[in-house]
Amino acid sequence: MSSRTLARSELARRPGQHLPSLLVTALGAAFGAALLAVSSMIGDYAATTAIGGSAGVERMLTVLSILFLGIAVFVAGVVTTNTFSTIIAGRVHEIALARVLGASARDLRRSVATEGAVVGLLGSVLGVGVGWAVAALVGVIGRASGVALPVPEVLDPVLAVPLVASALTTWLASWLGGARVLTVTPMQALGSAEEAPYDRLSRRPVRTGLAVLAVAAGAVGLGAGVMMGQSSSSGVLVAFLGGVLSFIGVIGLSRLIIPPVLRVIGTLLGRGAPARLGAANAMRHPERSARSTVGIVIGVTLITTFVVAASTARTVLFATTAGAPEEYVEEASRIIDNVTLVFAGLIGFAVVIALVGLVNTLTLGVMQRRREIGLLRAVGFTRGQVRRMITAESAQGAIAATAIGVLLGVVYGWSGALALLGSVSSGAVWPTVPLAFVAAVVVVTAAVALLAALIPSRRATRVTPVAALAVD
Amino acid sequence: MSQPLRAIARVEQLSKHYGSEQARVTALDAVTLSFAAGQFTAVMGPSGSGKSTLMHIAAGLDSASSGRAWIGSTEITGLGDDELTVLRRREVGFVFQSFNLVPTLDVRGNILLPFDLDGRTPTAAETAWIDELIARLGLRDRTAHRPHELSGGQKQRVAIARALATRPTLVFADEPTGALDSATSRDVLRLLQDASRDFGQSIAMVTHDPVAAAHADRVLFLADGRLVRDSGPASAAELSGIVLGLEDAS
Ligand SMILES: Nc1ncnc2c1ncn2[C@@H]1O[C@H](COP(=O)(O)OP(=O)(O)OP(=O)(O)O)[C@@H](O)[C@H]1O
Ligand SMILES: [Mg+2]
Repeated sequence: MSSRTLARSELARRPGQHLPSLLVTALGAAFGAALLAVSSMIGDYAATTAIGGSAGVERMLTVLSILFLGIAVFVAGVVTTNTFSTIIAGRVHEIALARVLGASARDLRRSVATEGAVVGLLGSVLGVGVGWAVAALVGVIGRASGVALPVPEVLDPVLAVPLVASALTTWLASWLGGARVLTVTPMQALGSAEEAPYDRLSRRPVRTGLAVLAVAAGAVGLGAGVMMGQSSSSGVLVAFLGGVLSFIGVIGLSRLIIPPVLRVIGTLLGRGAPARLGAANAMRHPERSARSTVGIVIGVTLITTFVVAASTARTVLFATTAGAPEEYVEEASRIIDNVTLVFAGLIGFAVVIALVGLVNTLTLGVMQRRREIGLLRAVGFTRGQVRRMITAESAQGAIAATAIGVLLGVVYGWSGALALLGSVSSGAVWPTVPLAFVAAVVVVTAAVALLAALIPSRRATRVTPVAALAVD
Repeated sequence: MSQPLRAIARVEQLSKHYGSEQARVTALDAVTLSFAAGQFTAVMGPSGSGKSTLMHIAAGLDSASSGRAWIGSTEITGLGDDELTVLRRREVGFVFQSFNLVPTLDVRGNILLPFDLDGRTPTAAETAWIDELIARLGLRDRTAHRPHELSGGQKQRVAIARALATRPTLVFADEPTGALDSATSRDVLRLLQDASRDFGQSIAMVTHDPVAAAHADRVLFLADGRLVRDSGPASAAELSGIVLGLEDAS
């Protein structure tokens, strides 16, 4: 069997398993395409008006768009890696059988990557199309309200960026997620559907070492930036680089950081059987749980960074411009607010992609645990208790991810503000965390927890106790 | 036996059909029978004769197409899903052929699951009983182990401990030794037999294996979804002869 035949049969037989990956790829591509197309439109529009340095405007918007696209595509890639790895976990029996019949692990992995390539290509073409349509719609709305925005070009070469980035990311993700194929032994074809042991975290000394190094070096940079900031605002550049480096390190370490946090949050969810079993589920596949929440960590960290930096900066400005004209200060703070809101919205899109990933991981987990859920129903779990179990698992992920994200974001945002404005402030500067933001975080976390549990709960409550007894 | 036997669970005119009107499979065909209090009852019959189906409905795991079923004095046909679930939790113990245990819980956690689900901790008397079960089933130094760290026989013993822990009205076992070797099977069967003899636990067990059924006080035979024979205790050889006869007939 060639890897391509295998991939084709898998795609034809169960196309549904790749819908989430298709959706995630398309979301990333659509987001990037819309941003870049709108940036070009605004650039063109700026060229026709009196705004000076129009080329500069367009270039700046494009660079920002690519930055946001990069964040969204990265999160999409993590989500898709997880989806593929989880799908493979559900195919263990078949893979083992193919291995018994003589297929090599390498071929099987390549076949998974072929599936990923097909999904990536379809998803990104679809997504770019949708993104372009959104940009066209923005143009229509703009013109209707008197801003002479042009119609976006269909063959704008810049659209190749989201197309290629999304397709390649999904392909790469399927290759990385497909690595799980290599751990399947032919022996596993013989074992019946038994209680599977826990996944053990593989040791990745090189990756872990590099990540620790990045965190350490980044933290030093962040600290140095803050120190420099006491005398000049150029410290913010050093702090920015330090922050980016350390955050990349934290993401690299997320597989080690997130599971223990999940464990702590899990114990806080209560001692009832549903909560305890829900919390224990996340610990079965620590890597999977980490990947399913790291997208939320990234989004929340970045948003919190902006909000805290902006609010802290405003506090400093208010304190130091006590004598300045009021309208000037108010204007400045309104600009800060608007920019923060736009940035938060754009990063929020990555959180939406992460949410899709969380839903998908939970749902696949439920489908792979059908027998176990049937057993629980047999020995006395009511449907309500099953629902509570799934919601506990989802809440644990959502709460852990936002907690980590807010903590990191406060540190980064505060450091940024200190590095930028330390030289102009008089006394000590403490991070400002607006109450409205805290409220928003709580509401969004609760919404994510409940939304993510909706679909998997429905699947889980449909499992009958007799399902536990059906020996397949 | 001197005392008249009280029925602890029974079914009346119980039928179960699968599939559509045209392609209908009748798994159970108007079966009426009862399980007696304190007895160890085995259910035998050829493959596809409806043994599992009977067990599932009588234990409140599945719904009947027609007819009625009782556990204790409660009619379970017609109960809502939540009521039925709570009844299973409190009144019925289950031992299945495999996949009996929750992988994320250790042995003790699995045994205590029915109490946890009720949101209560076992009373002192219940705890003493559970400790006795753990000791008698030879699980004393295994209580902190997870299912994947246990052998097949140990897993079945944990399942039996859980099934007995709440002192349920009835324990249902479907091929509890189906996945075990013969020495381990004998162990497990003796444990079930002891539970019935020593503690008066009512047990209903489905099995293919005449050796297993020979441990029972009473053996019921199903064929083509009907009760065809009701026998007292018998040797494995006798039971094997009866089953062969039924298989030839069908
Ligand atoms: N979910 C189902 N859908 C359709 N038919 C079913 C279903 N479950 C059972 N049957 C049919 O009902 C009949 C009785 O099945 P049941 O599982 O009760 O038999 P059994 O006596 O337990 O057999 P075995 O000894 O092989 O376990 C069989 O003909 C079976 O094919
Ligand atoms: Mg059966």
